[in-house]
Amino acid sequence: MKCVLAALLLAAIASMSRAQSLETAVAPAASGSLTGLADSAVPGSPTGLADSAALRATVFGPAPEALAPVPQRVPLLELEVRVPWRRPLPPIVWFDARLRAWLSPQPGPAPLVVVIAGTGGSGNSSQAGTLRAVLYGAGYHVLTLPSPTFPGFIAAASRTGVAGDLAQDGRDLYDAIAEILAHLPRGMQVTDLDVIGYSLGGANAAFVKAIDARAGRLHVHRAVLINPPVSLFDSVLRLDELFALALGPGDAGVERFYRRLYAALANLYRASDRVSLDEDFLLGAAASVLKTDREFEASIALSFRIDLVNMFFLGDLYTKAGVVIDPRHPPKVGDSLEQIGIELRSKPFSAYLEQIYLPYYLKARPGSTVSSLRAANRLSIIGTALAQGADYYAQTNRDDLILDAEELAWLEHTFGPRIAVYDHGGHLGNLGERRQVGDLLDMLAGRWHGGGN
Amino acid sequence: MILKGSRVAALGLLLLAGCAARPVIVHRLPDATPAADQATALERAHRLMAAEQAARERAREQPPASAPVVTPEEAPSLHTYDPFGRLNRFDYRFNARFDRMVFLPVTHAYQRLPGPIQSGVHNFFANLTEIDSMVNYTLQGRLGRGVRSVGRFVVNSTLGIGGLLDVAAKLALPSRPTGFGTTLAQWGMHPSAYLVIPFYGPSTVREGIGLAGDYGLLYAVNPLDLYQGNASWGLGAANAVDQRAHVPFSYYSTGSPFEYEMIRFLYMRKLLIQDSALHPTPPTSPERPAGE
Repeated sequence: MKCVLAALLLAAIASMSRAQSLETAVAPAASGSLTGLADSAVPGSPTGLADSAALRATVFGPAPEALAPVPQRVPLLELEVRVPWRRPLPPIVWFDARLRAWLSPQPGPAPLVVVIAGTGGSGNSSQAGTLRAVLYGAGYHVLTLPSPTFPGFIAAASRTGVAGDLAQDGRDLYDAIAEILAHLPRGMQVTDLDVIGYSLGGANAAFVKAIDARAGRLHVHRAVLINPPVSLFDSVLRLDELFALALGPGDAGVERFYRRLYAALANLYRASDRVSLDEDFLLGAAASVLKTDREFEASIALSFRIDLVNMFFLGDLYTKAGVVIDPRHPPKVGDSLEQIGIELRSKPFSAYLEQIYLPYYLKARPGSTVSSLRAANRLSIIGTALAQGADYYAQTNRDDLILDAEELAWLEHTFGPRIAVYDHGGHLGNLGERRQVGDLLDMLAGRWHGGGN
Repeated sequence: MILKGSRVAALGLLLLAGCAARPVIVHRLPDATPAADQATALERAHRLMAAEQAARERAREQPPASAPVVTPEEAPSLHTYDPFGRLNRFDYRFNARFDRMVFLPVTHAYQRLPGPIQSGVHNFFANLTEIDSMVNYTLQGRLGRGVRSVGRFVVNSTLGIGGLLDVAAKLALPSRPTGFGTTLAQWGMHPSAYLVIPFYGPSTVREGIGLAGDYGLLYAVNPLDLYQGNASWGLGAANAVDQRAHVPFSYYSTGSPFEYEMIRFLYMRKLLIQDSALHPTPPTSPERPAGE
């Protein structure tokens, strides 16, 4: 499934059409670097701790044979939530008026696990579906929420429109969860509440629990962070480096990669006996099309870049920064977004931080600096809670590409006996495997006492 | 009568207004079936592995000569021809709203019917389209496939109880549907401009003509008086709901303002790749780099 998504995502990144010249594409990233973020080196390699196997695991996910058992059927309710604090909705995102979440209620009283998706992910992503299935099978009510960086969340439930700030995103998530819990279907009895998240969602889950420790409205019991980042800024800047390394700066590399991918798919399809290019074909093709480490790196970097395009667009729209959207004439319903998409496709995370995030938060939080905001977006800002709170758990891999050695060591030191570190899996490449799921369930039940290697 | 209509409209507006004011709207979706999905993934993985192994052995026995290939230079540009863009975007929004308010609720109700009923309905309509496939394979000059469609139609209409069961698939005659759009492609017609068809979805001018041709053929043949008789509207609706149930797509589930562009890109590249396989010898670019 993941490779189909990867293949589609690779294609989708190019969806905003027409290649831009390398010269114009590179310019925005290199110029106007007021904060020096674009040039600031991040520790370690652009692929963090990942080796070849980790890159492949990250793209393909676990082997079907290794998956944990799941139930035959899982009931599914789609919730459309109208949050009271939503900002006026720009007409161009009319379809995101309500926050969409997915609930799988047990027939009787049960604890509820809230699952928060990773960067740019919907509450109905394949990873959220995997977690939903195993948690429901273990007897939990399950509520899956999008990442606060998902465009549907930004438009429907963000107070700022500027995604990617752990504290602010945590508050928005916290209140959204409270809003949903206040309107659960009649008869649903919740005996306890845990919060988990994967990737960026892991960091979000930790912040939700930390906020609850002060606010006390939700009574969050346990939090489990699955493959969390340690420093948001460092992780995304590393992804910028990965993109530049695998594809080259700007848009020309995207065009080259797209053409190679297209030709490979077309040739495979010609050689097959199929009458339509279906999911089955794409699954088989992905293994043949992506071969080298560089190609896996490119597909990972591209999928993050797609998420960034949406975040950047909405951030620019809400803050009226005027980077790609004219604040006096924002796009209207029915307008083509093609040109804006082309411009955004070549913009790295550093450009988002410099042109949208930092100007907004430096103004919104008087006295803050680039360094203080950078520090505020590290897990260490709630490090004491993570280290001393017996109900925080984590799972990660020794070959996760969003971590470097120092960050992994920090996680191990901070969580101590409450972290499972697996040798292999890359970034989320072992999500849903028997061992990972077994440990997750033990952590949620408070009976996990080590065992990761 | 007018008064009655306005009362219904007022009631509808009140209901909609009530919906808009509710803090949480709950939609009951068909149950997820993770165990079956996992079994499918496992079965698929084994099948793909076997196919890969077979391909490797074939390549060892008979190395591919200088088969014509599509080169990266021959890949279509990232740009998609969309002269009807504004109309298409309007249609896309219309389809999204129709899908959300009418099509999906009905489809979800259909998906809660017992599995054998759903597969029976699906097989029944799939069997009727074999008529279209027979004719179009013949028009495409792919007679072997045409004969396969005839075989499937005969077997499923008889042993398969009027098409309710896909017995032919179990007899190693899997479904290979085709249509007039593919015939036009085989004859050399370019897909032409991207077109979003109301109630239907992404298409192109050529595929739109193909769709009309497919329906026109079945209308003219009118098997069992299904396409011209009194029940034709009901059957058409059932067919549409069954088809929708087999498309795992939900409008704006990406939440992205760029969703229209993404879908357009994916649809057009899929169509172009399918088209490229219909023509045996596309030109090989002289600039093809070594090693590609």
